[in-house]
Amino acid sequence: MNPLTFIARRLGAAVVILVILVAAMFTLSHLSHTDPAHAYLGAGASKSAVAAERAKLGLNLPITTQFFHYVGNFLHGNLGVSYRTRNPVTQDLAEYLPATMELAFYALLLALLLGLMLGVASAGHWRGARILKFVMVSGASAPLFLLALLGILIFYGHLGWLPASGRTSMPNPPTGPTGFLTLDALLAGRFNMLINALEHLLMPATVLAIGPAVSIGRVLRGSLVTVLREDYIRTARSKGLRERAVLLRHALRNSVGPALSMTGLQAGLLLAGDVVVEQVFAWPGIGYYAAQSIPVGDFPAISGVTLVLGLGYVLINALVDILQRLADPRVRI
Amino acid sequence: MIMARAMTRHRQPEPLAVLPEYPGGPLSGLATTRGKHPHAPVITDIPASPAPPRPAERVAAVEDLHVTFRRNGRDVQALRGVSLEIAQGEILGLVGESGSGKSVLGLTLLGLHPARTTTIDGKLEVCNQSLVAATPEDWRRLRKTHMGAVFQDPMTSLNPTTRLGRQVSEVAGSSAEAIRLLNAVGIPDAERRLSSYPHELSGGLRQRVMLAMAIAGPPRLIIADEPTTALDVTVQAQILQLLRRLRDDLGMAMLFITHDLGVASQVADRIAVLYGGRLMEIGPAGEILEGPAHPYTDGLLRSRLTLTTGRDRPIASLAGEPPDPTQPPSGCPFSLRCAFVWDRCRDEMPAPTVKPQDTTGSHMVACWRTDDLASSGQELAGKWPAAPSAPGLAVLANNVTKAFTVRKGFRTQKLHALRGVSLEIAPGEVVALVGESGSGKSTLLRAMAGLLTIDSGSIEFGMPGHAQMVFQDAGASLTPWLSVSTLLKERLTRADLSSNERADRVRASLATVGLPAEVASAKPRELSGGQRQRVALARAIAMPPPMLLCDEPTSALDVSLAASILNLIGRLRRELSMAVLFVTHDLAVARMVADRVAVMYLGRIVEIGPVDDVVGNPRHPYTRALLASVPDPGAKLTTARGEPASPLDPPDGCAFEPRCERSGDDCCLCDPTLDLVRPSHTGPARLARKVACLHPIAGVPRIPGGLPTDRHEGDD
Repeated sequence: MNPLTFIARRLGAAVVILVILVAAMFTLSHLSHTDPAHAYLGAGASKSAVAAERAKLGLNLPITTQFFHYVGNFLHGNLGVSYRTRNPVTQDLAEYLPATMELAFYALLLALLLGLMLGVASAGHWRGARILKFVMVSGASAPLFLLALLGILIFYGHLGWLPASGRTSMPNPPTGPTGFLTLDALLAGRFNMLINALEHLLMPATVLAIGPAVSIGRVLRGSLVTVLREDYIRTARSKGLRERAVLLRHALRNSVGPALSMTGLQAGLLLAGDVVVEQVFAWPGIGYYAAQSIPVGDFPAISGVTLVLGLGYVLINALVDILQRLADPRVRI
Repeated sequence: MIMARAMTRHRQPEPLAVLPEYPGGPLSGLATTRGKHPHAPVITDIPASPAPPRPAERVAAVEDLHVTFRRNGRDVQALRGVSLEIAQGEILGLVGESGSGKSVLGLTLLGLHPARTTTIDGKLEVCNQSLVAATPEDWRRLRKTHMGAVFQDPMTSLNPTTRLGRQVSEVAGSSAEAIRLLNAVGIPDAERRLSSYPHELSGGLRQRVMLAMAIAGPPRLIIADEPTTALDVTVQAQILQLLRRLRDDLGMAMLFITHDLGVASQVADRIAVLYGGRLMEIGPAGEILEGPAHPYTDGLLRSRLTLTTGRDRPIASLAGEPPDPTQPPSGCPFSLRCAFVWDRCRDEMPAPTVKPQDTTGSHMVACWRTDDLASSGQELAGKWPAAPSAPGLAVLANNVTKAFTVRKGFRTQKLHALRGVSLEIAPGEVVALVGESGSGKSTLLRAMAGLLTIDSGSIEFGMPGHAQMVFQDAGASLTPWLSVSTLLKERLTRADLSSNERADRVRASLATVGLPAEVASAKPRELSGGQRQRVALARAIAMPPPMLLCDEPTSALDVSLAASILNLIGRLRRELSMAVLFVTHDLAVARMVADRVAVMYLGRIVEIGPVDDVVGNPRHPYTRALLASVPDPGAKLTTARGEPASPLDPPDGCAFEPRCERSGDDCCLCDPTLDLVRPSHTGPARLARKVACLHPIAGVPRIPGGLPTDRHEGDD
């Protein structure tokens, strides 16, 4: 397939997924017992005020018309107004999203690195591979919140090495231009700030990363073991290359395909886990935002978060496909 | 520090001979000065039978070598006491059927045996270094400095995701050295090739790249494990010539592993024959081929098809199959198949001794009965009965074309697999389709089987019933979890038969292909390669089809098994009056099995006619090149230049023109049509000899006096 068709198909798939998400959100908000007008005006609003608000929000229109309005609003980038914060949802998201993106980015990076280490070490029978595997598999089998709490108890409570909440403990964090605190601090030349931000990232990112890392590592180990039986590996050995060079230079690139696919799939789980982890570490991201919006039935906010997470999932998987194409010159996606 | 640097193979790039791609004049002044091995003689001319190696010159030696490894929980005794030496500058051909242990010996010398599960006993020495107790690191250093390797399948032996430049430089040390090596093995435009990936090269070029990596250094010993088996016959001839010339220029020793005595005869100075993990015979190549002293070598030579094997009777194939390496017999492993077997053979393995008639002392044989072999005559099988013939046509293909759509980078292209092919086959007739890979022969077969739709033209069958196919890889074409009887019964479901009748049919068809009835309950994986191919044939004939389509059914088998399968097909076609279309790349096989042969090149038939006529008197330069590439003992290989043109972009004019030695100015302009060789052809039209060439090779000239030397009239 040529690259333009490939990109077009990926975009098409993204649109389909997002439309399904929007439809699901619409159905959910109508099935729930929360009356948007009531929720928006508050518990003490008069009946006439609620009725007026219903008319204003178009809630008396036929349901199909409402759906088209709903979709139309989305298309215009209008995600509605949060019942809770009274801000447009887009504005809330702009505030909370960068924190989540930064955490997810570092978590995914860490998952890839740890997975790579686990896979290569166990396929190559490296020393320490078993210990690494034991630690990571036991980490991955614990529930996320337990792991997070244990981390806080040990590294914050007992050892006092790492902070337990928030993105930074320093005053006047930089506010732009990327929204990634680490990157902004670097751009502003504030290295203390950078280190502080990284310290805050380390624990939540590790907690998020460990499950996906084990999955990635296992898949990578499997494909490495298969690739190590290939004829070209025998060729590489016949050249008298060191086993490490054989593994890293010849086997690894031919094995990353399945591991990359697994990374794409794990990204979904990682984003789901993000809601819990942000809650435990008081991380001001959209997971935190969603957790506060769900109990009060703040459907515009919930829809916005869902949409953004869905979009992230689709984008990460498109990126995985592109990376796979880069890894293997024979693949013509 | 100095020692460590000396161990690095690319310590100092040495001047390497840059060879012309094809054989030309003597390669004077190209001999290399080799700082590393000052004693190595630079061999420029190989005597017909070299003197036996002196111990001082030996590069590798094994003595009473035993190699055992575990597979599927059982001990495979791959080598059971093998002793041989490889001298500096010598090519030792190691010949044997699959399971003989020949590849295990090659991998053990390289130290690439699976270390965890393999035990090695005896003496093993490479470059004066004893290796029985060597660590993997010792072996790695030895490979890096003194050894090179070429393996069978160039498609899978190069890393698919790494550019060639990097793969070659990795062992050559620098890009400049890589270019020099690639030039030396005859890769055109080497500098540009550095940035190519392996899949962008043809099979022949990939094998040349493998060779370039193997000769980096240069090494003292190259292990070449079936390096030409996966290649087309013309490319095989090129690679064999290249191997020999590289040895002549660089003076390294080579262990050349092959299952084909003919291939070994083309390159080897000495030949060692291995069977059941033991050495049967070893000696100078010429002597082994002309006077084999072991019944096994003799049997191998007789099973081998040449362009002169008598085709009026079944091939004298070795019956039986090699012994199970997990339970090797205590005596001579060949005693189970040997026509000369004595009681002593079953109890006691003879040690290799000098062949009685041999005066040089270099021809050794391990056999109790070698004297009797020498005095025995050749027993011939009875002649084939005449093939039945019937009126009408089994199949008529008319101007068939087929193009596949392939994606290449950003564009899609048409791969023209068939560019107008017409072929008629009569009932009971066998036609062989011969050509290199990419010639479209398999595509035509698949089109006839109805496995793909054709773009234009027509294929009509003259008889009721469906054609049946037999594939190359019998193992892969039988569903692994179904029993043989289930597989056979699948063909009988439509027939109006009771279950008892079906079971009888299964037994009968197994018996027809020479398999015992117990095979019915076996799963394909429990059978040997030859048995699987017989099962595939039994499946095809369970309901006798009007036509059998065979896609290289013997090319994955050992020579003795291939011969028995060809005999079986020869018998079945006569007993069942089947028409057969037999696809093969090997003209010697085509000649044995077929009545007529059609030579294909780049999607067209370029020559067709009765098989003796075409093989004995080729008219198309391509047919002649194919014939000259068949590696027969004693025959000198001459071959076509280059490799087939791409079916993605067929050249204007004659497709063979770029490789043709006879091409004229008109060849690249005018596309030749398939015309009658003799306009006055009489008899059935399909039997006519036709050739598509503007400058066909003339027939054998008449002897003055008027008697034609070939049996046809009206020649040229």
